[in-house]
Amino acid sequence: MTCEQFRQILPEISELVPSSEQDEHLQSCDECSSLFSDLNFLTREAAFLQVDEEPSPRVWNSIEIVLREERLIREPKPAPAPAVSFWNWRPARVLLSAAAVVALAFGVALHQRNTAQRQVAVSNTPDPGPAIVTAPKRLAAALPVAPEDQQLLDAVGSRSPAMRAAYEANLEDVNAYIRDAEASAQQDPNDEDAQQYLMDAYQQRNVVYEMALDRSLP
Amino acid sequence: MQSRQRAAKLVLVVMVAGATLAAGEVRKEFRYTVGHHASVSIVNQYGPISVKPAPGLQVIVTAILASDKVEVDASQNGDRVDVVSHLLPDANEDNARVEYQVQVPVDASVSLHSSTGVLHAERLRGDVTLEGPSASVDVHDITDAHVHVKTMNGPVTLVNIRQGHVEIASVSGEVNLRQVSGSFVQVNSTSGKINYDGDFGGAGRYLLTSHTGDIEAIAPSYASIEVVARSEKGTVENDFPLQPEHTSFVVKAGSAFAGTVGKAASSVKLFSFSGKIHLKKR
Repeated sequence: MTCEQFRQILPEISELVPSSEQDEHLQSCDECSSLFSDLNFLTREAAFLQVDEEPSPRVWNSIEIVLREERLIREPKPAPAPAVSFWNWRPARVLLSAAAVVALAFGVALHQRNTAQRQVAVSNTPDPGPAIVTAPKRLAAALPVAPEDQQLLDAVGSRSPAMRAAYEANLEDVNAYIRDAEASAQQDPNDEDAQQYLMDAYQQRNVVYEMALDRSLP
Repeated sequence: MQSRQRAAKLVLVVMVAGATLAAGEVRKEFRYTVGHHASVSIVNQYGPISVKPAPGLQVIVTAILASDKVEVDASQNGDRVDVVSHLLPDANEDNARVEYQVQVPVDASVSLHSSTGVLHAERLRGDVTLEGPSASVDVHDITDAHVHVKTMNGPVTLVNIRQGHVEIASVSGEVNLRQVSGSFVQVNSTSGKINYDGDFGGAGRYLLTSHTGDIEAIAPSYASIEVVARSEKGTVENDFPLQPEHTSFVVKAGSAFAGTVGKAASSVKLFSFSGKIHLKKR
């Protein structure tokens, strides 16, 4: 068995247990033996990736992209004649790509585990107090600011920066009022009280705009 | 004897000078003669405005300016008087503060605008309009007049408003109404709490609405009302025995109640999306 023949069948060696002929070549060829050892090592280490350390589907997608870029995943084509250069040697590229992929998967899994551990540590820290709880609650409920609202806030901010936060908070509350009122009105279009409620909500928005745009006041 | 009189005069002069002004303050007074149902408008960015009635047909405006960074522009056009605090370069909330004390004929219409000051009006019979983003509003003893209030987060207090037409819009300020009655009383709030303590009299329409603020209404046992209370996600409580009446919506226990008390002379609607509503019996 020649080196070329050995390397061609290397990816197909089942469970990395060489046949006698393959083993005989490995005994005589340092280069092929080294390659086989590396592949053995990578395969062994990859097995230690636990179920709970399995990377997310995004990782596998990334791997697929890498493999496609390396043309290791493609539609069946007649294989070109292998070139003499080592880097054009398909099995070598397979090994190197596999090594890169496994290393990538390892790194991602390790990162994810560390991130999960940090999140557990954060959730276990005592509640610092209502002041901090209140702010994230408002941020979590905030929706993207409408363009006209942004213009209003910019106008208030340029004229009276100290008031901007108050206007922003009130505008956010009023928009939530409108959303809830619209939902109620749509739920029962015949409910006159719900229609009145919706008008009241828009009136509140008008109040904010009036206060902000009244040029006689900051 | 003479030395005592001199000493007394000296003390009086010192007291008046000390009570009048702090260093840098300037006091100005404007007087205008107007006809009946005059219109008076005060616009003041920083500082309180207080309006009271005066005998006769005179408008008297007393302004105490904190510094020379602000000036008062006052003018009269017929029965319309306009007073504006004019901020000069380098003015800020402290040095541009003006305190207004205004006396007007009892039937004059008054309009007060301020950003952060206290807006106060009392014992008037003309329409009163009070507006300001963070202004505190305090109105009492108004009879047979319209009262309009708009604030963003300033608290509002109305006391003893009779035969009134009241419209209050405050986004997040707390609204307190005591002995407020009339043909129409409306309070619209987003997150502010609404407190009403009165008799819902005057055969009027009372509409208290909030998005997330609580609504607490206290009325006497002899109140004569047709009441509807609804809270989409909050709770409702009622201390009155209600005569049931037909409604256009489904009355869910704990989220709504509707009915009449006595002869149902006035209509009362209490709406809050997620606040708590409580109709209490005094």
